[in-house]
Amino acid sequence: MLSIKNLHVNVEGKEILRGLNLEIGKGEVHAIMGPNGSGKSTLSYVLAGRDGYEVTEGEVIFEGKNLLEMEPEERAWAGVFLAMQYPVELPGVNNMTFLREALNAVRKGRGEEELDAVAFMKLIREKAELVKLPEKLLKRSVNAGFSGGEKKRNEILQMALLEPKLAILDETDSGLDIDALRVVAEGVNSLRSPERSFLVITHYQRLLDYIEPDHVHVLAHGQIIRSGDKSLALELEEKGYGWILEEEAAA
Amino acid sequence: MSTQRELDDLVKAGYEAGFVTEVESDTLPPGLNEDTIRFISAKKKEPEWMLEYRLKAYRHWLTMEEPDWAHLKIDPIDYQAISYYSAPKKAGEGPKSLDEVDPELIETYNKLGIPLEEQKALAGVAVDAVFDSVSVATTFREELAKAGVIFCSISEAVHEYPELVKKYLGSVVPHTDNFFACLNAAVFSDGTFVYVPEGVRCPMELSTYFRINEAKTGQFERTLIIADKCAYVSYLEGCTAPMRDENQLHAAVVELIALEDAKIKYSTVQNWYPGDENGVGGIYNFVTKRGDCRGDRSHISWTQVETGSAITWKYPSCILQGDDSVGEFYSVAVTRGWQQADTGTKMYHFGRNTRSTIVSKGISAAHGQNAYRGLVRMGPKAENARNHTQCDSLLIGDQCGAHTFPYIEVRNPTAKVEHEATTSKISEDQLFYCRQRGLKEEDAVSMIVNGFCKEVFNELPMEFAVEARKLLNITLEGAVG
Amino acid sequence: MITAELQKSWARSLLEAAPSSPAPWLEALQRKAGEAIEQLPPVNRKQEAWRYTNVEPLLKERFQPVVSRPAGYEGEVPEAITPHRLVFVDGWFMPQLSDVALLPQEVTAGSLAEAIAAGDERVKNRLGSVAEPDAHLFTAINTALVNDGLFLHLPAGVKLESPIELFWLNSTDGETPRLAQPRNLVILEPGAEAVLLEHHLPGQGGHYLHNAVSEIVLDPGARLAHYRIQDESEQAWHFSRAALDQGSDSSYHGITLAFGGRLSRTEYETRFTAEGASCTLRGLYTVGDDKLQDFHLDVRHDVPHCSSREQFKGLLYGKGRAVFDGRILVARDAQKSDAELTNDNLLLTRNAEVDTKPQLEIYADDVKASHGTTVGQLEPEQIFYLRARGVPQQRAVHLLCEGFAAEIIEHITVEPLRDQALARLRKTLSQLD
Repeated sequence: MLSIKNLHVNVEGKEILRGLNLEIGKGEVHAIMGPNGSGKSTLSYVLAGRDGYEVTEGEVIFEGKNLLEMEPEERAWAGVFLAMQYPVELPGVNNMTFLREALNAVRKGRGEEELDAVAFMKLIREKAELVKLPEKLLKRSVNAGFSGGEKKRNEILQMALLEPKLAILDETDSGLDIDALRVVAEGVNSLRSPERSFLVITHYQRLLDYIEPDHVHVLAHGQIIRSGDKSLALELEEKGYGWILEEEAAA
Repeated sequence: MSTQRELDDLVKAGYEAGFVTEVESDTLPPGLNEDTIRFISAKKKEPEWMLEYRLKAYRHWLTMEEPDWAHLKIDPIDYQAISYYSAPKKAGEGPKSLDEVDPELIETYNKLGIPLEEQKALAGVAVDAVFDSVSVATTFREELAKAGVIFCSISEAVHEYPELVKKYLGSVVPHTDNFFACLNAAVFSDGTFVYVPEGVRCPMELSTYFRINEAKTGQFERTLIIADKCAYVSYLEGCTAPMRDENQLHAAVVELIALEDAKIKYSTVQNWYPGDENGVGGIYNFVTKRGDCRGDRSHISWTQVETGSAITWKYPSCILQGDDSVGEFYSVAVTRGWQQADTGTKMYHFGRNTRSTIVSKGISAAHGQNAYRGLVRMGPKAENARNHTQCDSLLIGDQCGAHTFPYIEVRNPTAKVEHEATTSKISEDQLFYCRQRGLKEEDAVSMIVNGFCKEVFNELPMEFAVEARKLLNITLEGAVG
Repeated sequence: MITAELQKSWARSLLEAAPSSPAPWLEALQRKAGEAIEQLPPVNRKQEAWRYTNVEPLLKERFQPVVSRPAGYEGEVPEAITPHRLVFVDGWFMPQLSDVALLPQEVTAGSLAEAIAAGDERVKNRLGSVAEPDAHLFTAINTALVNDGLFLHLPAGVKLESPIELFWLNSTDGETPRLAQPRNLVILEPGAEAVLLEHHLPGQGGHYLHNAVSEIVLDPGARLAHYRIQDESEQAWHFSRAALDQGSDSSYHGITLAFGGRLSRTEYETRFTAEGASCTLRGLYTVGDDKLQDFHLDVRHDVPHCSSREQFKGLLYGKGRAVFDGRILVARDAQKSDAELTNDNLLLTRNAEVDTKPQLEIYADDVKASHGTTVGQLEPEQIFYLRARGVPQQRAVHLLCEGFAAEIIEHITVEPLRDQALARLRKTLSQLD
């Protein structure tokens, strides 16, 4: 489904990703862990197509297509979804309007019919229930004045709505207390399916207690330096990142 | 609460620098005409080109109108009643060494807390002491010379470094700029000249201490600071004057030039005599200060603590010509008694990626009127330029005023400007909280006010920051509203 | 630059047409204004209020004041959203096009000229008492030429259920462009409540000058919501000044949406005369194509315990220019005043320009006063966020602009008007691409 080969990325002239390789198959859940500054967020933004990330080498193939040549909205239509670490606030833009615009744009992009207001309302109620997002938040401006947990739930709601093939969760656990984390993780788990892959980016193992990964990768200095199953995450939790970095340095 | 009594104390709070020095002076009788200018120029044995410069400015000044007094209440100034030159007699040919300086003068500066003997001086601070119209002493010159830094009075620079003076004088503030700058160009008496050559980081803080002593004189000093490519200099300016019941005029011009990658940090603690409790006397402080970030990545930073003067009219500004250049303005202005301050800055963004920051803290007490007036202009070529402005006013007592007049002109859509202003008083809750924790009311006020000013004080060099805090505390003694 | 001579000769050319006054008290007021014009400083950049607003091209044009009621109107009158509709053509009330039959009997809503002719004491007592005749050239001209406009009066305690809707239209352009210069007087007696909607439309006209002055008196406890949609033609000059006199515990809620005009200047002047009053002024302006939108606010807190909130937002595109000059003054005894002023501008294109000047003048210490201003572009991360959710670039820009504007429009409490406003905004946005 997703194939990243030898990816090099510069941000403001500085090389952040230095030859990253990653293969994600259909229905798999991959976790990427790594210390601060290792390039985790850069990876998520490059995949979603944000400006300011210069790919100097390598390729990203998503479902047989060159992802790097696509505009951000085309990637969304193709099924890439990024749940952001810091969801952006859109003052004055009503959340409901936003969700409907996004859903219909994506449906149109996928060659599906747009949903009418009634069908949309029904769908949104159902999905909001799933992530336990209070209905009043649908009437407010997008993310404006939302708490950390509400913002993340709003992200998962959008994921549920847009039904991506690849969902990237960028530090979805940051700033959440344990209850909020559980709600978000339940939302994510309910969306797991053999057709949908996940890339879970996180600094801490905590999130992986709730969203169990098939594969765990350690990202450091812009490369994946180790891969394993979920036991790698537990090992990291226990020992920190130091040992793995030392081993790498020694190698 | 004994608010009224404390307010009374406040308006009577002493001005510690108010004494007069008994020295014999050469003072030109009041009046202004071309002969006055020829006299000043001759007294300084200036070359012909300098006299011509002055006369050109004077002739232009005659055609100018006095500015409209914006937000200030001011009595008309009689320019013929001012003496335009006054020098202590023993100053002679200008200071050669400290031994030649009149001991009375050294004592004056000692009393003001500015020892001129190098061994007693604040570590790492070189001082140019300007007394009325002349520079009486400049310390640490030799040590600075070793680093290649020129630090002398502007009168000397006219003789010793005419090419530098000719090249830069009036290049940032032309004599046609405004009424007071023009008057200054015609009659300026002395001031400081600094040149830091390419790549040199000036090894110590430079400072000028201005003192008006003689009655009925005006002070018209001129400061010119040039930081060549990659140079760095931090410059401090202090000022006081005796208590007199007439208004004295201080119309200075300061020009800063920063070439590529250079940085100039200019700090002022202004404590001119503010007038008495009835608003009689005090200095009219009408100053033109402007820095030119001429080179790419250059940086000019103004920090000012304004506690003195009857009227302050001053807008230290930055012309951000070089790409990626940075302008900063940090200001604390205190008005109490009958003081009026109209101060702020102008940031002209011409170059790409230019950045400016404005932090203005106005404190008004008693009958003080404090206005921030600022301009941020984003020129058509100022791609991605940024400005952030924060203006906060603190009111102490219900007889004072705090005003904010920002002008924002944007000619480039990629530029981004943010301006915020707030007005507040020290809340009863804050005071109660401090007092409940055992602080005296006065200490609580001082603590809160210092906290209010912290962002600005942090920009001052260490010695000055201590000085500024002390000055603020004295100024606000008993100022509980 | 405009000289005193140019200003005087321009004003004289307009005043020549003035017919004799229908009442001696009015004649005195008009004469005073006429005399003031001779003394007023020229409206050029030397005056703070005109520093960024160049009206020289206007003063180089000649206009013909409309001094009598047009015989009829050939154009279509837009549909009203309320039962109470008042139509004005060239500044004159058109009874045959209006419908006030359903208003309660004790409410007066109609022609100012008729009220003057009938010797209405309420008009005599109040006209000219709120808006200083000599505030500047344009108020003085309006005062010197007072003829018709709206006179609205609500007796104490009357609360209108439906809004009153005004349509300002223009007849076909004549050889000399017309000057419509309505004078409006709105009086709400204690406890009265009303909603007033205004539509400024070109009608049959294209090139004209609209110079309105409104005097609004809110007695203790009165409440007025006043929404204006200014959608003049692209060649039109539009000036409107609303002067408010607010009694204790009265409330004014004003919104101006300014879309049209070659040069449009909107002014608000608020005076609180007693404690407990509140005033909210909001505005949205869109401007492009060498046009200018100019807003001036002067809010004076002269008495304690009043609150004011001013929020203005601008969307600029093409070679559009905007000027915002907002002043809040809190006088010495006006303790416990609460004032907040914001002005935000979005520059959507290369050549748009903004000059903004939010001012605070504070003479009392126990007050809450703040202002904030921003000028900038849409945030790239906001656009990215929308695109990452599948919304195409152009649509993302529209949504964000709508969101920006919505923070003003959403305060309109009359839903059909809010929808109209939104539709009008979308029309402007769709022309951007």
